[in-house]
Amino acid sequence: MKSLTLDHASFWYPATESPALRDVSLEVAPGEVVALVGALGAGASTLLLVAGDLAPRMTGGRLEGTAARRDRSGIVLPTPWTQVSGMAFTVWDEVAFGPANLGWPAHEISRQVDRALERLELVPLASRDPATLSGGELQRVIIAAILAMDPGLVLFDEPAAELDAEGACTLWRLIRVLAKEGKGILLATSALDALPEVADRVVWLEQGAVRAVGTPDLLAEAAACEAGLGTSVATVWRDSELPEPAPLTIIDAVRRWR
Amino acid sequence: MTGLRLHPFTLLAIAGALPALAWILPAPVGGAWTAAVALALTLTPGASPGNTGIGSSPDRRPGFVVFRTAVLTATPFWLFLLLLHDVPTTIAIGLRITTMVASFVWLVAALEPPRLVEAMIAAGWSASVAYLLAATLSAVPGLKTRAQRIVEAQRCRGLSPRGGIPARLRALRALALPLILSALHEVDERALALETRGLVPGVRRTPLAPPPDPVLERAARWALLLACLAALVRRLIVASPT
Repeated sequence: MKSLTLDHASFWYPATESPALRDVSLEVAPGEVVALVGALGAGASTLLLVAGDLAPRMTGGRLEGTAARRDRSGIVLPTPWTQVSGMAFTVWDEVAFGPANLGWPAHEISRQVDRALERLELVPLASRDPATLSGGELQRVIIAAILAMDPGLVLFDEPAAELDAEGACTLWRLIRVLAKEGKGILLATSALDALPEVADRVVWLEQGAVRAVGTPDLLAEAAACEAGLGTSVATVWRDSELPEPAPLTIIDAVRRWR
Repeated sequence: MTGLRLHPFTLLAIAGALPALAWILPAPVGGAWTAAVALALTLTPGASPGNTGIGSSPDRRPGFVVFRTAVLTATPFWLFLLLLHDVPTTIAIGLRITTMVASFVWLVAALEPPRLVEAMIAAGWSASVAYLLAATLSAVPGLKTRAQRIVEAQRCRGLSPRGGIPARLRALRALALPLILSALHEVDERALALETRGLVPGVRRTPLAPPPDPVLERAARWALLLACLAALVRRLIVASPT
């Protein structure tokens, strides 16, 4: 079974007539990283809420079609400060908040928390008060907190928004490691330049509907670049009217120049 | 409290018993005693100024900040009572209200919500109920911080909270609306976030570090309850016609 299967899913927020998602069918296999790209309001965040069983259960509204998950899902929201429990004295406690809520035995909580802290390079911050952390540190804490719950499907909504370049690189590497461990990953991001290295598939959303699905090469195509969804290299290449096909990454461009 | 670090249930019991006794015991002596005790508690080292949302001044002991908050919060009640009642009634009710206010301010300052959650989980309460209660108690400093951020943002846009009454009213309106709207918006986001962190009904949360609950404190809580009941019974017997 797939980690996630959306079958002709359409979703309406409460008191709205036009759907935020229109007839979306999508599968995420275990070990696969699927990236959602699109302009603001394209429906990527809504799709994640539906995939994570938060919409319509928590948000209200109406879902048509089906959304099925094989395992428990975990979602990293774009604003870390609203995802903090506020009930922890230390970063360690904050990461343990979710596993404790699941009722796991203390030794298992301890094992998962220590592992998540190591993965996000948070061990030096383990005894810090979460209220004293920077936005980027807090984002890493929340990612660790979600991973400590060992979800089979991990949903990321703009996970690099608060991170510096180094933190973002660590995150992208971690996402590939998680996929290698068999977790399904669904990732909504505007960090398009990272996707060729991170994503197995790219889903282009437009006004709540799937416009195109493909490999990350999609981000070098003319239509994507015109819509502002091309990688930086592909966009510059096309703006400069250099010969087709446009390279996807800097490495591709260097190869072409040589 | 910092020195003693009382169990959260003990703090709740004290903060509940004092107002109860203030209303049960004969006025004004009973109210005077309970108000004095409640105000004295606000001066204890365990009452952290950070939790009241009022910053501490370098020239003042931290406890005094909590005391000042309690007095400033209770003062308007005295003024209203004086407008509505004669002096003896004002004193009687004012002391009781002061006890309630001071007890609550002390509780908010002294009680650490994470310890309360751990204590409630260890006592068998559901995690959702424990979180709800603890989040309510931690809402005061959260709203204070948010209000401060909004005031600073309004200042950047040229709206000063100082000046005459019309200017202050304008500043208050500019503060209140974003404060309420942003708080309501955050409730939605936080509900989603807590759901993603596994805070759902029907699952028994694992206590991570339940605070110690010594026999002496448990006995003290029962003693407080019995004292309230005894005072109530005595009051009813004394007040009833023989």
